[in-house]
Amino acid sequence: MAAAGLGPARLFLGRRRGALRALLGLARGLASGPQTHFGFQNVSEEERREKIYQVFENVAEKYDVMNDSMTLGIHRVWKDILVHKMNPSPGTLLVDVAGGTGDIAFRFINYVRSIRERQLQQKLKRHQNLSWQEISKSYEEEKVKPLGDSQVVVCDINKEMLKVGKQRAQHLGYSEGLSWVLGNAEELPFDDDKFDVYTIAFGIRNVTRIDLALQEAYRVLKPGGRFLCLEFSHVSNPLLSRLYDLYSFQVIPVLGEIIAGDWKSYQYLVESIRRFPPQEELKEMIEDAGFFKVDYQNLSSGIVAIHSGFKL
Amino acid sequence: MLSDRNVAPGAAAMLRGGRGAVAALRRAAGSRGAGGHGRGQALEPSLLRFLVCPLSKRPLRYDESTNELINEELGIAYPVIDGIPNMIPEAARTTRKKPPADGSKETSGPAGPEQ
Repeated sequence: MAAAGLGPARLFLGRRRGALRALLGLARGLASGPQTHFGFQNVSEEERREKIYQVFENVAEKYDVMNDSMTLGIHRVWKDILVHKMNPSPGTLLVDVAGGTGDIAFRFINYVRSIRERQLQQKLKRHQNLSWQEISKSYEEEKVKPLGDSQVVVCDINKEMLKVGKQRAQHLGYSEGLSWVLGNAEELPFDDDKFDVYTIAFGIRNVTRIDLALQEAYRVLKPGGRFLCLEFSHVSNPLLSRLYDLYSFQVIPVLGEIIAGDWKSYQYLVESIRRFPPQEELKEMIEDAGFFKVDYQNLSSGIVAIHSGFKL
Repeated sequence: MLSDRNVAPGAAAMLRGGRGAVAALRRAAGSRGAGGHGRGQALEPSLLRFLVCPLSKRPLRYDESTNELINEELGIAYPVIDGIPNMIPEAARTTRKKPPADGSKETSGPAGPEQ
């Protein structure tokens, strides 16, 4: 990867990188000190980050298959509802954080594309006596700007997940208005006041410092921008809660072993869901970051919730 | 100096097989001109208006020849791999090419033209 001349320098930097990382950790006041959780274990923050990175590195290839089997395909409905709730208009700039394999990004593109098509059709219908030139010009418009300047940037901390996402995009034919960035939700590489919408779907649970991620979300959103979070949450109905627990702890890790050959990663997954703050608590955390008009919508009786907030 | 650095990655890309070579050729044939064969795909220009350094939130300079995003102030460079910019601070390299003997910091970035 590096030119020959940089070889020895890279070896030196390799050792330095560890030092650099430790320095950065200290600089952020984290080091390996503060304890946090990895599923039901107690680990240091640094350890947690590494373990979670490995979880997703392992499951990246089978991520979509696993989602379908674990949720019996219902995760697709949840994601559809998220994008419908977003109701993006053409020209919207979206940053999808922890968006790895692209589910939200693709749905966003489909949604905006169909709205744009309808817009252009309506425009045609309204002008009955169009010349052939005018008609072909509007078809040109559609071809040149099928998304009407909408853009989605997918940001994820995990290289493998992004790789899978990019491959999927190629297979499904998504290219226009879609970009991929390797970045940390706690430290986004984006400038202030840039995006119309920020989404994080099934990702915030895996962030070690949720407060930092929320602050970053606030920072990169334009005034008037919307924060949307889709995440597993708390089921209040006791009977459903028992069934859900049973399913989570007895079935999901087994599926993980059979399909992805990885029991432990899926054990982590179900444990992390239990450790994650329930609806009201997450709502307060989002308000603490500065968002207004924060509320949440339970889906599937609270198995999943969509939290929404605005930057004013 | 600059040409040495360009030849090795280009040759490596050719050796790596079709895709690297094709990407390099495509970039060369496109509006970029001859500057585009760093390592693998170059960065999408539309991203440049969003990206800043995650540490300092300051603007970055995109260097086509090495396919990196450079923060001059801090002297670090973020690589672009397969067209995806790696904006994790721990993965960035410092722009020092050789470790300085007296330990003082020299920001000797690549001598590419300012864009």
